[in-house]
Amino acid sequence: MFRSWNPSQPEITDLIVEHDPRTLERVKVRKQDVLDTFSRFSNRTAMRAVEQLPEREGFLDEKELDRHLLKVHWEMQRLAEEFYHGHRVWELLRVVIASIREAGVRETIRIVDVGCGIGYVIRWMAANIPLDKYRIELAGMDLNSTLINEANRLAGAEELPCRFLQGDAFSNGHSGHIFTSTGVIHHFRGPGLPQFLGRHEQPETQAFLHFDFQPWLLAPVGAWLFHYLRMRTAVARHDGVLSAARAHDGRTLREAAREALPEFASGIYGAKIWNTPAPRVFHTLVGLRRPLVEEFRRQLGRRRSRLGELR
Amino acid sequence: MTLLALYLLALLDGLLCGLRASMGRCAVIGKRGYYRRAAFQGVAGAQLITTLALVALLLVAATSSDRADVRADLEGAARRMLWVFVPYATLVLANLALRLVPSNDIRSATSVFMLGPLTAIRPLVMIAGVLYGIFPSRLLETRLLGMFVLLLMLSLEYALNRRADRRQEREIRRLI
Ligand SMILES: C[S@@+](CC[C@H](N)C(=O)[O-])C[C@H]1O[C@@H](n2cnc3c(N)ncnc32)[C@H](O)[C@@H]1O
Repeated sequence: MFRSWNPSQPEITDLIVEHDPRTLERVKVRKQDVLDTFSRFSNRTAMRAVEQLPEREGFLDEKELDRHLLKVHWEMQRLAEEFYHGHRVWELLRVVIASIREAGVRETIRIVDVGCGIGYVIRWMAANIPLDKYRIELAGMDLNSTLINEANRLAGAEELPCRFLQGDAFSNGHSGHIFTSTGVIHHFRGPGLPQFLGRHEQPETQAFLHFDFQPWLLAPVGAWLFHYLRMRTAVARHDGVLSAARAHDGRTLREAAREALPEFASGIYGAKIWNTPAPRVFHTLVGLRRPLVEEFRRQLGRRRSRLGELR
Repeated sequence: MTLLALYLLALLDGLLCGLRASMGRCAVIGKRGYYRRAAFQGVAGAQLITTLALVALLLVAATSSDRADVRADLEGAARRMLWVFVPYATLVLANLALRLVPSNDIRSATSVFMLGPLTAIRPLVMIAGVLYGIFPSRLLETRLLGMFVLLLMLSLEYALNRRADRRQEREIRRLI
C-alpha cells in the first residue's frame, strides 16, 4: 500500500498504453520499461501487477492489454455508480447550464467530458436527463481508442443520445461550452497542470468542472480499503490507491487555474460536508467566465455554501 | 422458528453475494434486469446450500438415538448464532435503506463508513456467528453440522465470483 502512496510516480495505466500524440496510433510498449519505472520507485505492488500482464517478444500484448483495460474500466464504473457520480456531476452541471442560459446563450450547449474513459458520466446523463429540455449536447473524448470504442458500443446498446470521439478534447473543432472531467486532473502535474488548464481558453468555452478525489488525512486508508474490497484486478487496485495519493489539494487546483486562466473565475466546490470540517471524497474545480459568476451563485441556491472563494 | 430465521438470513446473504459478484462486470447504465438475474443466482446458491444443510440435518436426526436431544441442541446453537447474524444483517439493511435518501453525501458515507467495512468483515462475522453458536453445544453432531454450513456459506461468494468471472471473461473475448 505505502509503495503505491508515492505521488511522484505514474499510474500503471499511464504507462502500459501509449499513443502517438500526432496520429493517435497506438505505440508498442516494452514491458521491461514499465517494470524499470516502478523498480526505480521500489514499487513492488505495481511490478507484480505489471508482471502478470501478457507480453509478446518483450512488448505488452495489445489485444490482451485492451481486454484487461476493459475489465479495469468496468470496475472503475462500479465505483462511480456506488458513489452516485452521475447525480453529483449533474447536480452542479445543471446550475452552470442555467447560468449560461441566463446570460443569453440560446444555442445548443455542448458539454465535453475530457478523458471520458468508457464514458460513464456522459452515458448516465444521456440516459437520465431530457437533453432536449435543456438543449444540451453530450460528447466524451479520450485519447484511448479502446475506451472510446467501448463507450460507443455501450451507448449504442442502450441507444443513448451522446457521442464519443477519440482525440484531444481541446483540439480544433471539438471545443465545448462546458468541459468536465472525472479523475483526470491529477494526471497533470507540476507545470503540466496550468498548461492543461490553460487549454480551456477557447472562444466558445464558458465553464469547466473537474471532479477528482480530495486528499485528506484518512484518504490513504480509505482508498486502500475501498479499492481492495471493490476492485478485482491488481491494476485497478493499484491505480485507484495511487490516484488518491496523486490527487491535488484544493489550493493547488485553484491557484493553477487562476494563474492559467485569468479570464475565468475559479474555485473549489464541495470540499466539506454540510459546513463541517469533514471532507467530501470528491471535490470539484469550478471555473466560469467572469460575467457568469453572480448568476451561478444565485442559481446554486441553498448549495451556495458549498462553494469556496470564486475569483 | 429459529431455523426459519437462519434460513431467511442465508437467503438474504446469498442475494447480496450474488449482487456483489455481479458488480463491476457490466457497464451499461440500465442494469435492473442484470441485477435481478444476479440476485436470483445468489438466492439460488443460498437455497442450494440450505438444502444441503437440511439434508445433513435430517441425516443427523435420523441416525441419532435421541432425536429430541439433537433437536434441542441444534436449536440452541441456531439461537445463539442469531445473536451475531441478526445485528449484522440489520446494520447492512439499515445502510442499504439509508441509500434511498436522495443525498450524495449520505449515500457516499454509507459506502465508505459502513457497507465497505461490513463487506470486509462478512467472513469474520460468519465464523464468529457459527463458533458462538456451536461452541457451547453438547453434541458433536451439532458442531460438525455448524462447521459444514459455515464452509458452504463461505464458499458461496467465492463460487458466485468464479462463475461471474468466467462469464465476464467470455464476454470480453467476444468484444475484443
Ligand atoms: C483516469 S482516465 C479517465 C477515467 C474516466 N474519466 C473515468 O472516470 O472512468 C484518464 C484518461 O484521460 C485521457 N486524456 C488525458 N488527456 C486528454 C485529452 N487532452 N483529451 C482527451 N483525453 C485525455 C487519457 O487518455 C486517459 O484515458
